Amino acid sequence: MKQALIVFAKELSDALRDRRTLLRLLVPALLMGPLLLTALSGLIASMEERADRRELMAAGMEHAPTLANFIERQTYTVKPAPADYEARLRATRLLEPVLVVPKDFEAKLLTGEAPTVEIVSDSANQRAAAGTGSIVRLLNGFNRERSTLNLAMRGVSTQLLEPVDIEERDLASVQARASRLSNIIPMFIIMAVLYGALTAALDSTAGERERGSLEPLLMNPAPHGAIVAGKWGAVALLGMAVALLSSLSFVPAQWLLRSDSLQAMFQFGPGEVLAFWLLQIPLAAGLSALLMALAIRSKTFKEAQAGSTLVVTAVSLMPMVSLLNPGGDAPWYLWVPGLAQNTLMLAVLKGEALHWSQVLPGIVVGFALAAVALAYVARSMRAAVAR
Amino acid sequence: MIDIQDVHKQFTAQTGGGLFKRGTKRVVHAVQGVSLRAENGRITGLLGANGAGKTTTLRMLGGLFPPDAGHIAVDGLVVTDAPLKALARMGILGDAHGLYPRLSARENIVYYGRLQGMTPDAANARAEELARLLEMRAILDRRADGFSQGERMKTALARALVHDPANIVLDEPTNGLDVLATRALREALRWLRSPAGGGKCIVFSTHIMQEVEQLCDEVVVVSHGRSVAHGSVPGLLEQAGESRFEDAFVKLAFPEEVAA
Repeated sequence: MKQALIVFAKELSDALRDRRTLLRLLVPALLMGPLLLTALSGLIASMEERADRRELMAAGMEHAPTLANFIERQTYTVKPAPADYEARLRATRLLEPVLVVPKDFEAKLLTGEAPTVEIVSDSANQRAAAGTGSIVRLLNGFNRERSTLNLAMRGVSTQLLEPVDIEERDLASVQARASRLSNIIPMFIIMAVLYGALTAALDSTAGERERGSLEPLLMNPAPHGAIVAGKWGAVALLGMAVALLSSLSFVPAQWLLRSDSLQAMFQFGPGEVLAFWLLQIPLAAGLSALLMALAIRSKTFKEAQAGSTLVVTAVSLMPMVSLLNPGGDAPWYLWVPGLAQNTLMLAVLKGEALHWSQVLPGIVVGFALAAVALAYVARSMRAAVAR
Repeated sequence: MIDIQDVHKQFTAQTGGGLFKRGTKRVVHAVQGVSLRAENGRITGLLGANGAGKTTTLRMLGGLFPPDAGHIAVDGLVVTDAPLKALARMGILGDAHGLYPRLSARENIVYYGRLQGMTPDAANARAEELARLLEMRAILDRRADGFSQGERMKTALARALVHDPANIVLDEPTNGLDVLATRALREALRWLRSPAGGGKCIVFSTHIMQEVEQLCDEVVVVSHGRSVAHGSVPGLLEQAGESRFEDAFVKLAFPEEVAA
């Protein structure tokens, strides 16, 4: 135990002295998430702004005084579309859809011939595509008004048109709505654990072999288990430290949010930071040991890096599983390292209380993985040196 | 005291193979009968050509892998039975002696002292003492990153000796050292052998005749994985009937080539 602590202290101070590597690792871990969050909030803010503006871009509105009158009565203002709107939409330089009114609109409307209007958008231009919904709703309103008037003039009750009353009720809490945006945060925290542990894990195994310092280390009368445990502790702690910094970095990031309503909804305080951090413990434990186990058989740092690519890719893609499968969280999610943490962090963001039965599988799997991998490392160290 | 009796070790090595064909396995007999008895207060040399099995023998002594057959004991402790106790009685400077580049020489030395069970203060005091002995006080608090070959070797040696072991095992310690550094090392080893230096049992392997002639009380000649002769330098000269030690070594180590 004492020897494990000695190894732990040495590995930690050794890793912390590698300032250049630490810095290169901290920059993406600390900046990427908040930057992306800010950029996304900018996007949402601009959408909100458009909804507030109640503006509509149209081409040929002068041919449809009746429609223009309706739209203005809905307190929308009509902006004329630029002549080259199609090219601009394709090039994503125009960020809202365009309503195109044909020349014979008014004449056809009066004769009851149903004129055709076009809503021009580009589904590759996301912001423009997002705006079509409100135009469709506006035009449906116009249709309803016209038909109601027509029926009323013929003495038919307008109630007949709407036999069913529709009311929407949104069950999502305020935090749940905000979490749609903050879904990306857990991904960055998981990556932070990975990056924090990766270099230290490789340096303390394959790096030690490459330097030729593993053989003399094993010539000390310290049990291999103690040496491995000390190294693992340092690696896992580094992963946890970067994870903590990364999750702390989202606290100031929320002050930068450009949308007021988002800022009001997005809640990431000390409680969330702490919960996030504690949830990473099993992941850091399992991942550090796994990376060490993969690296101990490699003769050089480079070889070990190639070997760890699979783990790095697999773990960083874990959050994608839940993004691609929005049909709900399957119970097995909680048993997969990375995915379990992602699921639990999302629950924390939604403001849900965690139950032990949700947290326990991740802990069991994480520490079981650590135990198996560390036993393997301890067993392999001597063989690795002897070759 | 170090006692190695008739140890054997074989490895499987892979042959080259082709682009798509894997190489076949081949058994390499690295060591097939090396015996050595090193007494306290004496310097015992393990002399042999490259690939004679010196390093493999010393690695078995360090407990890195067990011998296939034979017996290795350090101060009466059998290495395969009580590896940690045996290791605590040895200071080993192996073939690989990498340092931690981000730690200073002192930290490198103290780290090993702590692993040997010393208190931080004792390890520190010992580092100072060894720095005086090995003339490396100027580099003691520098990071090992920019060390020269000689500085690295001195630090590694100090690290191996930090716990003041009764038995010192050095694998080709003068490799890559210049004349001055070699001389300093020789002086240090002579002092460690003397009663004032603790009368240590020193085993070192080398392929350089000069060193053996100048330093060793006892020589074991290893060839093709076997110990083929042992005795003092004059004794070996007499045994071979030669006046130059180099001739004596070639005659003892490679009798078939001399005959041809």
